Amino acid sequence: MKPKISQEAKAMAAQCRHYAMCKIDYLGTGLCSAGVEKPYVSYFPQGRMDICHALSEGLLRLTPALVDIAQSCTLCGVCDLQCHFVTGMRPMKVMRELKEYVEARLAEGEAVTNVAEDESLKRLRAIVGPDWATNDPAILLTYSDDPFPLAGPRMPRYVVLPGSRDEVAAAVSLANVLRLPFAIRGNGGSVFGFVFTDGIVLDMNRMKKIEIDAGNWSASVEPGVTSFELQKEAFGRGFRVNAAEPAATVCGNIVCTGTFSTWSNVYGTAADGFIDMEFVDRSGKIFRLNDKSSPNIFAFEKDVLPSPGICTEAVVKLQPVTDDEEGVLVPFGDFREAVRFARDLGRRRIGLAVAVLGSHYIANFLSPSKDLAARLKKALPDVLGINYAVFVVGDQFARDSIYKMAGTVIDSRLLRTLMLGLPKLLDREWLDLVRGLEGGRPLYEVLARPEIRPLLEAALAPSPEAIAGSVDEDLRDLYAKLYARPEMTDMVWLNMFRIVSARMSRHKHMFAFLVYVPLDDGRVIDEIISGFARIAEGQGLEHDYGFLTPMDFGKRAILEYDYYIDHTDEAEKARIGRAMVEIDPWLEGLSEKHKGVLFLKYVFSQGCSRKENFLYR
Amino acid sequence: MRISPEKLSDRRRDRTSRILLTGGTGFLGSHLAGALLREGYEVILLARSSKGVTAEERMGRLFGWLGLSAGDRKKLSVVDGEIVRPRLGLDDREYERLAGVIDEIVHCASDTSFSIRKKSEVEAANIGALGNILDLAASSGCASFHLVSTAYVAGKNEGLCREALVRPDAFHNAYEETKCAAEWLARERCRKEGIRLSIYRPSIVCGDSRTGRSLLFNAVYYPVRTALFLKDLFEKDIREKGGKRARPMGIKLEEAGAVHLPIRIEVREGAGVNVIPVDHFVKAFLVLMAETPDGGVFHIVNRRIKPIEDIVEYAKKMFGLRGIEACRAEAFKDKACNGLEVLFDTYLEAYGPYMRDARVFATDASGPLLEKHSLVSPEFDYELFSKCMAYAVESGWGARLFP
Repeated sequence: MKPKISQEAKAMAAQCRHYAMCKIDYLGTGLCSAGVEKPYVSYFPQGRMDICHALSEGLLRLTPALVDIAQSCTLCGVCDLQCHFVTGMRPMKVMRELKEYVEARLAEGEAVTNVAEDESLKRLRAIVGPDWATNDPAILLTYSDDPFPLAGPRMPRYVVLPGSRDEVAAAVSLANVLRLPFAIRGNGGSVFGFVFTDGIVLDMNRMKKIEIDAGNWSASVEPGVTSFELQKEAFGRGFRVNAAEPAATVCGNIVCTGTFSTWSNVYGTAADGFIDMEFVDRSGKIFRLNDKSSPNIFAFEKDVLPSPGICTEAVVKLQPVTDDEEGVLVPFGDFREAVRFARDLGRRRIGLAVAVLGSHYIANFLSPSKDLAARLKKALPDVLGINYAVFVVGDQFARDSIYKMAGTVIDSRLLRTLMLGLPKLLDREWLDLVRGLEGGRPLYEVLARPEIRPLLEAALAPSPEAIAGSVDEDLRDLYAKLYARPEMTDMVWLNMFRIVSARMSRHKHMFAFLVYVPLDDGRVIDEIISGFARIAEGQGLEHDYGFLTPMDFGKRAILEYDYYIDHTDEAEKARIGRAMVEIDPWLEGLSEKHKGVLFLKYVFSQGCSRKENFLYR
Repeated sequence: MRISPEKLSDRRRDRTSRILLTGGTGFLGSHLAGALLREGYEVILLARSSKGVTAEERMGRLFGWLGLSAGDRKKLSVVDGEIVRPRLGLDDREYERLAGVIDEIVHCASDTSFSIRKKSEVEAANIGALGNILDLAASSGCASFHLVSTAYVAGKNEGLCREALVRPDAFHNAYEETKCAAEWLARERCRKEGIRLSIYRPSIVCGDSRTGRSLLFNAVYYPVRTALFLKDLFEKDIREKGGKRARPMGIKLEEAGAVHLPIRIEVREGAGVNVIPVDHFVKAFLVLMAETPDGGVFHIVNRRIKPIEDIVEYAKKMFGLRGIEACRAEAFKDKACNGLEVLFDTYLEAYGPYMRDARVFATDASGPLLEKHSLVSPEFDYELFSKCMAYAVESGWGARLFP
């Protein structure tokens, strides 16, 4: 029988979100050994998913790299847990089928086709070494596409992994000589489709050096270093950084949009986050921002501009940490009240990380399975009365203030109880029981009362095993071990490392819209949210509020609104395309009408600018 | 063209009166629908599809539960409509067809939530939807409108509650407020349209007096259910985990396996809860409907208020509970509430007005008519309590009714 990849494996492979979570050891369970050895994305599970899908479509022939990629998979299973934790998918099936499929074709005597080394490749290899530049289609394919629905695949001619700044500069110079366009990839992907070219892709994944300079409160990082890796290093030394999504590279994130997170409440964004940066410009020349003669990339221009070059080093700020920090949730039924509270925290300088979250975010952050997340998303508003919650990380003094300011606070201990007791919390009997309690005030007020705590703990029986009971049976032991680790229920740690944020798109690919907004007029935020909702409804797209984080002492905020699509569905792709046509002029109009409104797309490639230059125009 | 009272009486007698009933998937509505069908009336049920189950299937399940035979259902038809939508969400043809066949309307649909944050939903269901049904009544030949209300429209009024429309200064919750407003709305529209209006005001309704069967397990069931949940929870903790969680809360096992739950429940002298069984409500409704072609306002209540103290004792006796005490307010002065008490207190914040109720519901209009038919609500005594609770437990508090 002719070797074949099953429909199930093909469908799963097509669903890979390209979040590169399989490229960082975020669960402490190890990394794909083949990927560590050959850090092309192709050797990681993410690349293997693309290759498997391409093979199922008959798009690839057997090449040396393809055979190596298939054979170097040890079927160790590390990726299964890593992927399941955030997406709910079990990629082991794909890994196994890819391996078996290639073995079967080889067993049938199919020849492996070598791709000839051309002159350009020879010159690129002379710069980076023979292993780190390739034109093998199996590798090229994994750098050709992303779930971004508004751009088609673009196959690069070469993929190059430079190992140093000088190699980057030399590769750029050569690209110019060869008249080849080039694109830079930090950790392998971009959800906005900006990292594709039919020329050279420069993947920075070999440049992963981190140097902490405690005396200067700074960390120097190379462009292959991810937020997770830097945070881990910084945290181990008693510091914190304002980090992006865990798999995003630090340099790439700064250059692209500037790093923003819930910590931007106190750490700011864009130029606030770094001390100095080093670039290789588009001509191959090296410059540092602190040189007087360097281009002024602290300035901002409201236009879609190219990046200032390839960042080869960022010296980012380290922030102090105290040992009494905890995360709390302040629940609200009304969005305006939640925003008012978050703004108040900002302007009174209370708390560190602050965000107004909706039930979709809260449910997905806390739930290890899609089913549990869906049930919690419903129960939060319907039963518990929590439509929104202000999440705050604060020290003891901040929390004392929050207790005085807020009617009800869900503290870190209660959050842990709710998280580990989630299956029981969503049990029908329990929900019926608490539903019957509701009268003149929302239920969260009752459940957060200290006297109820022992009862809640008895009823929910929170434990690592309890929450692990909500995932596939064969993963339960692994999940129980994960959730037994204190950091997995520590809201400070989870918010610093952001390992659960990718769960937002567990059920579908997420298309995030980010807008800087003024925080002193709730009507503007309402108008933006209702506008996003209206456009999505008009196109029949699934949509939800994302988050809002106050910035610059509560004067401004960053707002995220999300659309959800199946990126493999052509009809949905067309719908989001039509939505984009509406969104651009509508947001542009709002931006003209209201001070402080700015679509993040204008900050792309200007992430090094001073935030004041785009927040106050 | 509306028919005269005489003609309506004739039609009722001949069982040719066509009755539209709303809220047929609810507790009272389904029982009324079943009773009207058994009486031989032609019943048109307005119901909506839900969770992939058609209105007809939903009614079929309910009537199966009510034990209605195929013969009983011969004169039944179901219209799939949404009461909260203008013109019930029906197309013009269906709406007009419906309007053309109605002689009477029994409006049972209601949202009984006490939740303040659901006020707009409660208003939509209890006032907005009534408006839609009254619109239908106005455009149809409906001669008699039967509004199922509640004895608690008197809100925070104390003392004697008369069988007349009231305008209380304050209400305990949106449910009371909207039901009161609904009575006035129905009065105004029916007067304007020349439709006779009957308002039925039951107190708290429990399961059937003979079997304990019920579809709804809130109100008087809720605290018992909560106590049993806690009993099971902590009994398991004691038996399986040595009482790690039970001990700090003062929960323990006593002789003969009884569970001691340290809960004080605040009670008021001379107050209690007014409970009637659902079969009494149905019989009373049918009698009042038949006896009063010109309409009126009727309390369907129990003459005997049941003190909470008694219900606490019933629960303790039936379920092997200890430690639950009915106390006066003074008992709480020196000792703060524990978690279990906070839970019960929260419940009583919502249901207290009905559990610690000293009001008297006048039955000047309804009483003599019901007595004429020897209809008196049975007392909510231990026998009735235990029947109702046994059925509640057996049915998993409703969870196992329609799996």
